[in-house]
Amino acid sequence: MTLHLTEPRTGGAPAQSPESLKPAPRKSRRGSRPGGSSIDVQRKKLLIPFVGPAFVLYTVLFIVPALGAVWISLHKWAGSGPMKFVGLDNYGRIFRDQLFLSSFGNTLLLLFVVGTAIFVLAFALTLVLRDMAGKKIARNVIFFPHLINALVFGVLAGFIFNPGGIVNSLLAPLGVTDPPKWLAQDNIFPLIMVTLVCTTTGYFTTILMAGVDRIPPYYYEDCALAGASAFQRLRYVILPLTWDVFGTCAVLWTISSVKIFEIVWVFGGSSGAGVPPTQSWTAAVYTYVNAFSGQSTPAYGAATASAVLSLALISVLVVLLRRAMRRDAVEF
Amino acid sequence: MGKTARHLRPLAALLGAALALSTTACGGATDASTAAEAVDISGSISGQTINYWSMWKDGEPQQKVIAAAIADFEKETGATVSVQWQGRSNTEKLVPALNTNNVPDLVDGTFAKLAPVIGETGQASPLTSVYSYEVDGQAVSSVIPEKFTSNGVFKGEDGQPWMVPYSVSSDGIWFDAAKHPELKAKPPATWDEFIAVLNKLKAGGTAPIAADGDVAGYNSTWFVTALLRLKGAGSFKALVEDKSGEGWEDPAVLEAARKVETLVKGGYLNSGYNASKFPAQQQLWANGDAALILNGSWTPTETGSYAAPGFEYSSFQFPAMDNKPASARVDFIGFAVPAKSKNQVPAQRLAAFMLSAKYQNALGTEAKVLPVRSDAPVDPAVASVKAAIDAAPATHLQNDGVTFPGFMEKVFFPKDDELFLGKTSADEFIAKMKAAQIQYWKDNS
Repeated sequence: MTLHLTEPRTGGAPAQSPESLKPAPRKSRRGSRPGGSSIDVQRKKLLIPFVGPAFVLYTVLFIVPALGAVWISLHKWAGSGPMKFVGLDNYGRIFRDQLFLSSFGNTLLLLFVVGTAIFVLAFALTLVLRDMAGKKIARNVIFFPHLINALVFGVLAGFIFNPGGIVNSLLAPLGVTDPPKWLAQDNIFPLIMVTLVCTTTGYFTTILMAGVDRIPPYYYEDCALAGASAFQRLRYVILPLTWDVFGTCAVLWTISSVKIFEIVWVFGGSSGAGVPPTQSWTAAVYTYVNAFSGQSTPAYGAATASAVLSLALISVLVVLLRRAMRRDAVEF
Repeated sequence: MGKTARHLRPLAALLGAALALSTTACGGATDASTAAEAVDISGSISGQTINYWSMWKDGEPQQKVIAAAIADFEKETGATVSVQWQGRSNTEKLVPALNTNNVPDLVDGTFAKLAPVIGETGQASPLTSVYSYEVDGQAVSSVIPEKFTSNGVFKGEDGQPWMVPYSVSSDGIWFDAAKHPELKAKPPATWDEFIAVLNKLKAGGTAPIAADGDVAGYNSTWFVTALLRLKGAGSFKALVEDKSGEGWEDPAVLEAARKVETLVKGGYLNSGYNASKFPAQQQLWANGDAALILNGSWTPTETGSYAAPGFEYSSFQFPAMDNKPASARVDFIGFAVPAKSKNQVPAQRLAAFMLSAKYQNALGTEAKVLPVRSDAPVDPAVASVKAAIDAAPATHLQNDGVTFPGFMEKVFFPKDDELFLGKTSADEFIAKMKAAQIQYWKDNS
């Protein structure tokens, strides 16, 4: 068996003739009975008892609160007491708020810059780890940081980067008398980005490795015989055969990156005792501070408006991503 | 199409049912009635039960005192107190609870946290009866120092008090009296004397001031207190309330900013204060690597575990300016009763009970915090702060009581941080604040 390396992958939806989109052939397949085949009838009967409970729970616990959030975002409200309807004012206000825009910008930085770094590193590690001796141990080691609570990194950052911390103590014997101000407000967000790359790469590497492990070894033998380089192996074997796994990972990262909150919260602002410096805020932190800062009257309207915008962002991005990454799964 | 529609129809029906279910479940409880009246709390409360959501966690010194008081209260009155020792997040949990009919009967917290969620939203019961209730033969109103209540800080929109404080916190410029007896003997009383002390410390090779620059609330204390020294208690709030932002053009405001700038530019702040993580700098101070720290009355308890051996806590007040009388910062910790509570009488009685001398004394000597009663003794570590509060002609709240939504976190703290961390000058700070405040009120009025 050989893989046709030169065969172009089909982009987008599989080409279909206009006729095939018509319902006629499907109808004939299902037979002429008006209610569909007996299997279809059975399926329909089971829909409510099987899907119903989950659907009701999901609606009550997720959809209704989400709609509630949209409703609250149209009001000026301190969380309790009277609500004042203000229409779309909250949205207008947060779009005019430089702080929301910069927080949102940080969220996009996490999503795209950190995301790119994570997947480039994850694929690189995948290539290295496949052939490495003791790869199981290596895999565990790189996955480990993902298990650790973000709080730990927040506290560790202090130990490592404080003026009298480990880094400066190590630099001092090397003659660095005026080390950079690692934890200055402007440096906190870059540090958070680096930390996220370090902690998340292992997680996605592990998932991608699981996909890579499925690839039968004879493709690699084929590559070796054809004299393919490591990059060509990635380009023509690994990527196409793990594309669906990669797509899922990308969606997972998109969803989780838009919600990143706790690591920002503990990195700045005295490990959660205060509010982190605004330079490191993400949209999620912006939402939280508006509702729960504890230092001023809660602004639930503005907070939910920013949460609703984040939800809209995730939805649009996931749809776009699914579209952009749509390929026919290669069967092997 | 036909097939999907057949699947969608039952789903849509389910969705409708679920929506109906959830709206009926949550409905009805949204509109709070706020027109509560003071109740007579003198009758017997035997057999009644209250739910108390405490800001203290099990094992904290204050928790032990309150738990002892509750035990006595139950014995004396026959009422039952069901306590949840929730910790500081109790106010965050209170907000959603206030939208239901299932509210706690009694909550406590700092004024700064309770005021925005329950005081200013009209969700608290008037506690006028607590103030007139007698403990140890004296009305509660007479055991709480008048200067704490005279400015009407506890009064809600209906003119009645909604909070009863049982403890206070304050701040001061802390130092080790064992190492600097000269500061205890003659603390700097004016700004010039203060700068002279800083110069002397600096010349002696000691870092004069330690500051955890990553805590915006600590940084802001410098500017806000300087302004209050120059213009009096309430002046920062008045400045912030000014929708035109013109107040920032006041020379006194610039002067306050210049004082902060002096500390930064003069090199009086410990190196690294602008790039460290709390509590690194206060640890360093407690170890004796810096002489002074401007911080709260909780400093002895918070730093006690790592302070250098023989450390003797003492403090002096933020220096006075222009010979004006200096107010003392007093933040209140106390009780509030949600208006929807169905057990008003026992809840208010417990609030009054904590003002008894026995528990006030225990707060001062066992929990080592500042009791609200001025006749209660305190631990030597906070004696200097108590003396300052007793001597002060007036009091002010942290950040002068500014709680406008998001103002401190989104407008003031970022700019003030820039000033305190040496990124902007006093003049730039004033200009930026003026512009930001005008924008804030444009968006929030």
